[in-house]
Amino acid sequence: MTRSRPARRWVVTAVVAAAVLALLTRPGAAHGGTLRLSGSSPQVPFWLVSLTGGGVIGVSFLFAALVTDHDLIRDVAATGRRLGAIPASLTGLARAAGVAGFVVVVAVGLVGPSTPTANLAVLAIWVGWWAGFTALTYLAGNAWPAINPWRTLAALLPAGDRRVSPRAATAISVGGLLALVYLEVLSPLSEDPVLLVAAVLAYSLATLVGAVVVGDGWFERVDPISRVFRLYGRIAPIQRTGDGLRLSLPGAELTRPPATDPRPGERAGSAVDPEPAGGSSRADGGTAAARSQDRGAWWARREGDATFVVALLWVTTFDGLVSTAAWETFARAAVGVGVPAHALYVAVLLVGFGVFLVGYRLACRLSRRTGNSYVSVPEIRVRFAPSLLPIAAGYHLAHYLDYLLSLLPSLAVVATDPLSPPASLPVLTLPGWFGGVGLLAIVAGHVLAVAVAHAVAFETFTGRLQPIRSQYPFILVMVLYTTVSLWLVSQPTVEPPFV
Amino acid sequence: MTRTRATHDRPDARPDDRSAVRPDDRPDALPDGGGTPLDAGGPGDRPWGAPSTAVPPETDPSRCPYCDRPFPSDRRRTLHLGDAHAAALTDEEAEAVAAVRDGEADDLFVYHLKVVAAIVLLLMGLAYVYAFVLS
Repeated sequence: MTRSRPARRWVVTAVVAAAVLALLTRPGAAHGGTLRLSGSSPQVPFWLVSLTGGGVIGVSFLFAALVTDHDLIRDVAATGRRLGAIPASLTGLARAAGVAGFVVVVAVGLVGPSTPTANLAVLAIWVGWWAGFTALTYLAGNAWPAINPWRTLAALLPAGDRRVSPRAATAISVGGLLALVYLEVLSPLSEDPVLLVAAVLAYSLATLVGAVVVGDGWFERVDPISRVFRLYGRIAPIQRTGDGLRLSLPGAELTRPPATDPRPGERAGSAVDPEPAGGSSRADGGTAAARSQDRGAWWARREGDATFVVALLWVTTFDGLVSTAAWETFARAAVGVGVPAHALYVAVLLVGFGVFLVGYRLACRLSRRTGNSYVSVPEIRVRFAPSLLPIAAGYHLAHYLDYLLSLLPSLAVVATDPLSPPASLPVLTLPGWFGGVGLLAIVAGHVLAVAVAHAVAFETFTGRLQPIRSQYPFILVMVLYTTVSLWLVSQPTVEPPFV
Repeated sequence: MTRTRATHDRPDARPDDRSAVRPDDRPDALPDGGGTPLDAGGPGDRPWGAPSTAVPPETDPSRCPYCDRPFPSDRRRTLHLGDAHAAALTDEEAEAVAAVRDGEADDLFVYHLKVVAAIVLLLMGLAYVYAFVLS
């Protein structure tokens, strides 16, 4: 084959792609206007929505496959600027606000009105914190280490320093996450203000005991809630590095190991802008054996992160799954046969997590095969796990955005007079086209995940064709998952039966 | 999963193939079979560092003469030389890198044609389905 100039090839490819885009409207956006998440009859059938979503993910992979310049990919991932250090007064204010919020929630939950939609505790926890603050975390940045009231309270208590192995830490955080999501699904617990506050206090006791025993590492590595926010925060454009805040592209931090837990041997700066003076992270320089142990522990923490990311993805899916009519049919059939309802939920929660974990590990193993590479499978698992986070975030946004926006006025009104709120509370009614925003969020999350995985693949594998081929199993899984999750989100919402 | 390559079957091997030579001054060499991901050297702008590797048993991989990382083929190893050790290459190695990259660029062009065709087919297919359903 004759040698063609690379520039001409790029121009031809770009022109063809642009022409295709110009000629055909993007079906994903065109139909979004006719769908509502609350289930009025749509013009576009559910199966076509799912198919479109899967198709958009496939197309985004194909477009990513056209970007093969190592330098361009690295430059895009490294783009950013320092924003300066966080003022200590702001941190102090955040800590005070967190503790004040906690105290108010507990107080109002115990003595406030018993109607869930009129109780500040219920609204603040589900609408303000779990929906709103989480969305802020992955859209803007992770402020949880400052706002976390338990961390502030734990600072007043004596701190232990019992070492928790990374495996134990992962087991506790994953178990804690599954337990918390199970409690969230149990509607009597999540809606009754007194029961909810009881759960909050039980969690507070557990986490404060953990913080006292383990020390500061508890919130950094073990506590499930802090871990969720830390991982979601890595999607955001504003990142906390060793020397202040840094603004970069959303998702760029997912292509690197976390800046707040640098590799041993690197300084605690951003992995992208390392400190000019090198040096060991151990105060005494460390022996070779100690350094090797540090690296082993760091690697085990990254593997724990990968497992936790898969768990987080599963629980967001589970949250949506149990609100669908299809689940209701299945649950009624199972309970009718004689399966205890709670056991059914717990079993599905655990089995689903297992399926997701096995599926992810299998995809990593296949990736090594389609890429025809000698890179080890654990390496692939650890490097590509962060790319799953935007999927979870997109799903979270789709699931909670209309809930958040419609109840935000109620939250504001109840906050002004928590103990005797007005009888009728304002609720924002969203326009019919708003369901499309949720669908777009899911698709956007997947597209970002494809881009991040593409960048990581070019980092990990050699050449320019092999990284693309290594992505086939992940793309297949993502297309299937998008199809299923769009179907889930476009279903009318139903209360989970029996709980 | 990976093919066993006989040591004599290396169509991409250059006459002065250095894979059999192990210079003494390689401070960032990986231990045999791939070590932890942090033992190997590599360019400082790689946040993850060099990946750990696992070679299937009874395979004789091509190894990078600078960092000892194994590869399933000489072609892949040459690409790695260009990616990771560009500053330290000898003239022959640089030539080999340029030649293999050229070949890869040709393969990549053909692949990109297929990708563009797939994009066109996928989007046209979706458009037709919509036209059919909404009519």
